[in-house]
Amino acid sequence: MGGSPGGPIDRVQHEVEDWERLADAINAALSGKGLQTTDQHRRAIESLEEYRDLSYYERWVAATEKLLVEKGILTGDEIDERAAEIERRWGGP
Amino acid sequence: MTFEPGDRVKVLLSEKPGHVRIPGYLKGKAGWIESLIGEFPNPEELAYGHSGLPVRPLYKVGFRQADLWDDYEGPAEDYLYADVYEHWLEPGEGGPT
Repeated sequence: MGGSPGGPIDRVQHEVEDWERLADAINAALSGKGLQTTDQHRRAIESLEEYRDLSYYERWVAATEKLLVEKGILTGDEIDERAAEIERRWGGP
Repeated sequence: MTFEPGDRVKVLLSEKPGHVRIPGYLKGKAGWIESLIGEFPNPEELAYGHSGLPVRPLYKVGFRQADLWDDYEGPAEDYLYADVYEHWLEPGEGGPT
C-alpha cells in the first residue's frame, strides 16, 4: 500500500453490502453539497491511526466522520448517540 | 513552466508530512518529462481546505521499471508513467531521452 509491502492480494470477489452503498451515497451527497472534497477525504483516510486494520469502506466511513467533526458539522457524541439509537432499533437479535 | 517534454528529472526525497501526492516508491528516482498534463490547484493544500492557488503544473513523468524495483526482471523497455506535480521534481542528470 502506498508503495510499501502489503502482503498477498485477496482476489476473491465479494458482494457490496448495503452499508457500503450507503457510505458511498453519503460521500457523494456531502460532495454535492460542497461539504467535503475528494482531496480532504483522501487526507482524512491517510491520517487514520487504524488505517491498516480497516476495510476500504470502513476507511471511508471513519474518514467522513473525522471530517464532519473537524468541520464542526457534527460532534462525536452526536454520531455515537445516533449510532446507538440505530443499533437499538435494528441491531442484534 | 520549468520543464519541457524530454527533460531529465528527479523526484525529491522530501519527507514532507501530511497529505502528499507522490508515491513513496518514486521518491529519489530519476525519470523524464513525457508531457505536461495541465495546471491545477495544489491538492496537497486543497486537502486541508485551502485554495490550492496558485495553480501548479502537473506532468506525466516516465520511469524505467528497472530503476524503481531492485529485483525487476522484466524487459528494459518496461516503463511506468506517473502524474507528478512540479513541486516534487528537480532537474535530473543527462540530456533528453
